[in-house]
Amino acid sequence: MYQLCYRFVGNHEDASDLTQDVFFRAYRGLSGFRGGSSLATWLYRIGVNACLNRVSARKPITEELDARQHVDTRNESPSERVLRQERGARVREAIAQLPPKQRATLVLRMYQELSHEEIADVLGSSVGAVKANFFHALGNLKKLLGGERL
Amino acid sequence: MNGCNHMGHLTPALLVDLAEGIKAEHSVPHLARCDACRRALAELRTTMADVAGPGIPEHSGCDVPEPSPLFWDHLSTRVREAVAEQGAHGRAHWFEAWSRPLVALPILATVTATAVLAVVTLRKPPVPNPIPATPLPILQSTLLPSLPPLEPLGAPDDPALALMADYGTSLGWDELREEMAGVSHSGAIDEAVITLSTEERQELQRLLEEEMTQPSALGAS
Repeated sequence: MYQLCYRFVGNHEDASDLTQDVFFRAYRGLSGFRGGSSLATWLYRIGVNACLNRVSARKPITEELDARQHVDTRNESPSERVLRQERGARVREAIAQLPPKQRATLVLRMYQELSHEEIADVLGSSVGAVKANFFHALGNLKKLLGGERL
Repeated sequence: MNGCNHMGHLTPALLVDLAEGIKAEHSVPHLARCDACRRALAELRTTMADVAGPGIPEHSGCDVPEPSPLFWDHLSTRVREAVAEQGAHGRAHWFEAWSRPLVALPILATVTATAVLAVVTLRKPPVPNPIPATPLPILQSTLLPSLPPLEPLGAPDDPALALMADYGTSLGWDELREEMAGVSHSGAIDEAVITLSTEERQELQRLLEEEMTQPSALGAS
């Protein structure tokens, strides 16, 4: 859940706030959970809604590269580390510019590894719409990244 | 649906399935003869690889920094605090709602009226059964024909009549009526005993003991 939130807001502070908010909402709404979907899907739905609300309310603040202190870099050379961080920052910035549904679809598919059916359940849309959103998200990302090889 | 759009090219959904390996390329004959669709598929795969990074997503170029284990301890504490705070806020909100004049005043008025009514009802003494001013009808001999006819009253040698006559001269009937009305409600006997003087109580006790020692009383008990 923290990772999902981080993908949306791009910084630890907001991601931790959002994670807390998601679990708090889940706690409050647990009595209303009827088991129509899996608990994970239900949690993702809460998480995605919270994240979309947050990012629509304000522009996310992406952390500076030096602030990312928790990545396991034991097998990396310093230059590899810098390149990876730069690449990550560019991709995050590009993802942050995607329309909300495309962004949610991309994050859930690429980083949370949910199936298209699960994403459709989370977002309340059809599988075909999810695949179309995913396709367009990747197309927009390609344009935003300027066709550069990452 | 054959997976082709109105231009004859593959749909986005089918391209995604092909790019992710959900569908095999040889199962889509159009791909073999359409350069545009092959190019679109290749670009899609490249972008997916760029976004995901080389190979496994967790090693991708935009991986998320893992928070420290302490974060999860703090998170659970923060969630608990938020839940407690929300509960307290909910209680405060409840009190606030109930303490609004538009809500509280009618409720307070209703409760007060009910309480006053209850007190008045409970404190009102029970209405005693009025003693009829006219004497009760005496059983007529026609109702009990088997009983012997009553002796005529006023026989001069009857001691009971003499005793009653003494009482009659010393007793005020109006006072007796009020007294009888006063002892007709429940608990009145206890009240009457309390109001007796010491000599009267001793006399009452003596009479009761005498009554209890009689063989008929013992036999009855």
